[in-house]
Amino acid sequence: MTIVKTNHQFLASGVVGLLVGNENSSNEDRYVERLLDRISNGKLPDDRRNAIAELQGVVLENEAFQLAFGAMGFPIMLSVLKEERDDVEMVRGALETLVSALTPINHAKGSSNEVQPALMNTDLLSREADCISLLLSLLEEDDFYVRYYTLQILTALLTNSPQRLQEAILTIPRGITRLMDMLMDREVIRNEALLLLTHLTREAEEIQKIVVFEGAFEKIFSIIREEGNSDGGVVVQDCLELLNNLLRSNASNQVLLRETVGLDSLVLILKLRGSSFTFNQQKTINLLSALETIKLLLKGGSESDPGKDMNKQANKTTLVQKKVLEHLLILGVESQWVPVAIRCAAMQCIGDLIVGDSKNRNLLAGKVLGEEPQVEPALNSILRILLRTSNMQEFIAADYILKSFCEKNADGQSMLASTLIPQPYSTNHAFLEEDVSMSFGSMLLQGLTLGENGDLEISCRAASVLSHILKDHLQCKEKVLQIDIEAAPMQSLGAPEPLMHRMVKYLAIASSMKSQVGKFSTSENSYVQAIILKLLITWLADCPSAVQCFLDARPHLTYLLELVSNLSETVCIRGFAAVVLGECVIYNKSTESGKDAFAIVDAISQKIGLSSYFLKFDEMQKSSIFVSVKSSLTYQSFTRSSTSSMVDIEDVDDNDLSEKKNLDHPILSSILDSNFVNLVKSLEADIREQIVEVFSRPKMKVAVVPAELEQRSGESDAEYIKRLKSFVEKQCSEIQDLVLRNATLAEDLAKTGSTLQPEQKGSGGSDRIQIETLRRDLQEASQRLEKLKEERAKVESEAIHYRNLAGKTEADLRSLSDAYNSLEQANLQLENEVKALKREGHSTFPDVEAIKSEAREEAQKESEAELNDLLVCLGQEQSKVDKLSARLLELGEDVDKLLEGIGDEAGAAGDEDDEDDE
Amino acid sequence: MSYDYLFKYIIIGDTGVGKSCLLLQFTDKRFQPVHDLTIGVEFGARMVTIDSRPIKLQIWDTAGQESFRSITRSYYRGAAGALLVYDITRRDTFNHLASWLEDARQHANPNMSIMLIGNKCDLSHRRAVSKEEGEQFAKENGLLFLEASARTAQNVEEAFIRTAAKILQNIQEGVFDVSNESSGIKVGYGRSQGQSGGRDGTVSARGGCCS
Ligand SMILES: Nc1nc2c(ncn2[C@@H]2O[C@H](COP(=O)(O)OP(=O)(O)OP(=O)(O)O)[C@@H](O)[C@H]2O)c(=O)[nH]1
Ligand SMILES: [Mg+2]
Repeated sequence: MTIVKTNHQFLASGVVGLLVGNENSSNEDRYVERLLDRISNGKLPDDRRNAIAELQGVVLENEAFQLAFGAMGFPIMLSVLKEERDDVEMVRGALETLVSALTPINHAKGSSNEVQPALMNTDLLSREADCISLLLSLLEEDDFYVRYYTLQILTALLTNSPQRLQEAILTIPRGITRLMDMLMDREVIRNEALLLLTHLTREAEEIQKIVVFEGAFEKIFSIIREEGNSDGGVVVQDCLELLNNLLRSNASNQVLLRETVGLDSLVLILKLRGSSFTFNQQKTINLLSALETIKLLLKGGSESDPGKDMNKQANKTTLVQKKVLEHLLILGVESQWVPVAIRCAAMQCIGDLIVGDSKNRNLLAGKVLGEEPQVEPALNSILRILLRTSNMQEFIAADYILKSFCEKNADGQSMLASTLIPQPYSTNHAFLEEDVSMSFGSMLLQGLTLGENGDLEISCRAASVLSHILKDHLQCKEKVLQIDIEAAPMQSLGAPEPLMHRMVKYLAIASSMKSQVGKFSTSENSYVQAIILKLLITWLADCPSAVQCFLDARPHLTYLLELVSNLSETVCIRGFAAVVLGECVIYNKSTESGKDAFAIVDAISQKIGLSSYFLKFDEMQKSSIFVSVKSSLTYQSFTRSSTSSMVDIEDVDDNDLSEKKNLDHPILSSILDSNFVNLVKSLEADIREQIVEVFSRPKMKVAVVPAELEQRSGESDAEYIKRLKSFVEKQCSEIQDLVLRNATLAEDLAKTGSTLQPEQKGSGGSDRIQIETLRRDLQEASQRLEKLKEERAKVESEAIHYRNLAGKTEADLRSLSDAYNSLEQANLQLENEVKALKREGHSTFPDVEAIKSEAREEAQKESEAELNDLLVCLGQEQSKVDKLSARLLELGEDVDKLLEGIGDEAGAAGDEDDEDDE
Repeated sequence: MSYDYLFKYIIIGDTGVGKSCLLLQFTDKRFQPVHDLTIGVEFGARMVTIDSRPIKLQIWDTAGQESFRSITRSYYRGAAGALLVYDITRRDTFNHLASWLEDARQHANPNMSIMLIGNKCDLSHRRAVSKEEGEQFAKENGLLFLEASARTAQNVEEAFIRTAAKILQNIQEGVFDVSNESSGIKVGYGRSQGQSGGRDGTVSARGGCCS
């Protein structure tokens, strides 16, 4: 890049020139340069003002001029702002020029990769030293336009480099205070300031706190009130967006709002006024934004905040005191003219309000809606919406309330279950009419059995509710097992059948309908199936009598086996069916042959094959729905830019291309909450374990009692033989069975090898598990063997080593004792010689005695020293021998025998040695 | 929730002198033995009664660490009262008082009532600043003064209440323009009946009709 504009005297900073890559200085550059020269060096004020006006005009309309201005104009404009404060017109002109330089000029689409001069200019300006504090100081000017343009410039800077500006503003004392003051300014300024503050507070906790310190809450609510609450215009929306910014993940601000400003004003926004129930787009957005505020308060702060839960609880309590539940019920449940997006958001809030909160659950349970005499419990109204709505989102939201109501609420579950009393069939047709006298349970039962008229969708929604009522509640499960449903009158053959059987029937109908109809409705029915299967999984969990009831109808097992291996089903459906089958194994207390756990396992193994059965679990776990499950629904927040897409669930992103049938309905990601996914996961582990258990410990028909095999006293040979024969026969047939089962397994194994090769690594058959364990066992065993061998070799080599050592010691000892002997001999010889000499030289050498004694002394000394050395040596050797003997003893050698050859000298030396040591 | 007045307080002073502890003792009647460095500012609130008038205190506890100064200064202007805290066992925290005071005089409302608190007076065996010195400093600078302990709660209540009483007295003497946003004072529900609907009236005053 070339520095193009070094000739400009204005360009003291020089840096900006670098950013314009234009080679030849264009007409625009020269033009702008001339104007800037007039502005900074002009003598006549009028001329300077005209130059500024002209400059503003061209910069406003043309990107080339924007670029040219950006390259050289900022320092000059800022110096005008600093030094010409008294000349309002100049200041206005400079500010307006800046606004123009920062405002993108709409041009043809598709040019997004080009340099955007406006963007570049905001970046340049935000880097100018003191720019922010200069601008903030301009907010105190009396001139309306000065404040107005200044706010626009700040907003532009903030939109493009938010962090730099947020940081800069924090370092300016009273910076935020000045912006806050703008909220009390004229309407146009106030609205501009609102937008600015909304940008400023986004994800900036310290700024959020300062803004609140400056009384933002009071100001926001005062503006909202002035504008007519939810009936107000876009300003109300902006206020609520700012409010939400201040409360989102900011527990401290939530406390302040609750403790000092109060939540009345907020709850008031939710209140519907007047008799005109028209909801224009703006009112809808306003209400959705206010519901978002409620939702944020019910969350209590950011996930990481330790005080979040306490704060959440306090918010709940206060909101309930302010009668938020009543307003939410009006918006979400009672008023059918309210747009569905609001109804959904309100119900979501009701769910958040009651989840994990027994007080609020009871409060909701006690609420009645409607006007006398047409009143009914709120829960019933919610159930009616759930069953009747044509909108999936509304079903999900209503389902969330009932789920939250039932979760860990044994009393509530019992209460709802107690109303499950079948009505005579004839009343069924009245379902679609509003009948407030109908109990929760009757309505639910009617919904459940509506599949009879072909309305599987309503049945499945009811099934979802039933699964909430049954979850983790054994008594409810048992109670509902007792419910028999009368057959429809036209089906003359029909005897009453258990509700559970009815549900399995609908499940089967849903599958069969799917195979008839084309591809489009596939996913529709797959969620019907998934929800009914979810009900069955929930019901059978930990409940042997439910398993019993399920297996009471023979075809159920067959159907389920078919479902598991039906490749036209989604992986989710197959997986769920596999879980139900597994529950029939692990919660099976039956001893009836054909229905007990062994029979089920055999059926699985024969009809599906164990490895492909377990494969269903793996596939399900890997399916996108399981991976993407979240604990709660995520709703978007409503910013000005995102109002068009109001309530939309995320589409399931299916990237498993090899599994082309994996078309699970997007609704499943809402219905399959993390609780359920965890349940399925833990069930899977139990199922695997239990099935391996069944195989490794087959139920023996013939017990082998060793004593029985003996001939009994008094038993004749013939009798004995006969008895043994029958025993052998029984065993034979048993062996036959086992061989058969073995063959099935082997076949399965062979199949796994051939057909499932590419997936084998991921497959999870019990064979694989067994093989794996066996292989591991084998590996372990051979490792152990190897280790033992090594150990033995080591011990052996040690023994040899010690034997050698012992031999050497022995030899040493022998040579030592030899040396001792020879020394003694030498001594003796010397003594004899001395004696002889004495005898000889008694007469001739009178002082021979002296010589002799001298020699003796010397010899004695010498021999003593030698003896001492020897003894020390012996001592060392002895202790070596002791140690070695001990070690040899340890190794199982007979030490005495070994030492046999060593002789007595060694022993004698040992004794002496003892004395020496002590 | 209804009150006659709402006063905004700030608590300032060196790090570790016990500002957060004083607030916690005042709002929750608890003591926190571990030093949780305050990051930025923290908020607390409590209702008190002075001359049988309910008064709401909004208290901002600021971080004492130098690096937060620019943030905490943003809180000076809007406060009606300040607790300036030092630690009687640490001489340096007393020596820094002058610079704190200078900061306050520069950024705060000139009518802000300041209470000087010599905290940790339960640790008299480790005392490094005598009570007289504290008194002397307060007198020279026109501050209220108390020695207190966030641990034993001694004088904690008094510190907050006496500051409030002082502010109330200033109001009654007409020192404050309570309708001015930056005074750190708001007229509450109970006293808002005669309020006109003008644009510049305090906002919270108009909240009364809506509950
Ligand atoms: N003995 C005693 N210790 C106290 C007292 N007040 C505070 N402390 C201890 O002093 C330490 C600091 O207290 P904080 O309240 O966290 O200090 P701070 O002034 O808020 O510090 P920053 O947040 O960093 O500005 C903690 O370990 C407290 O337990 C007191 O009255 N007596
Ligand atoms: Mg602190």
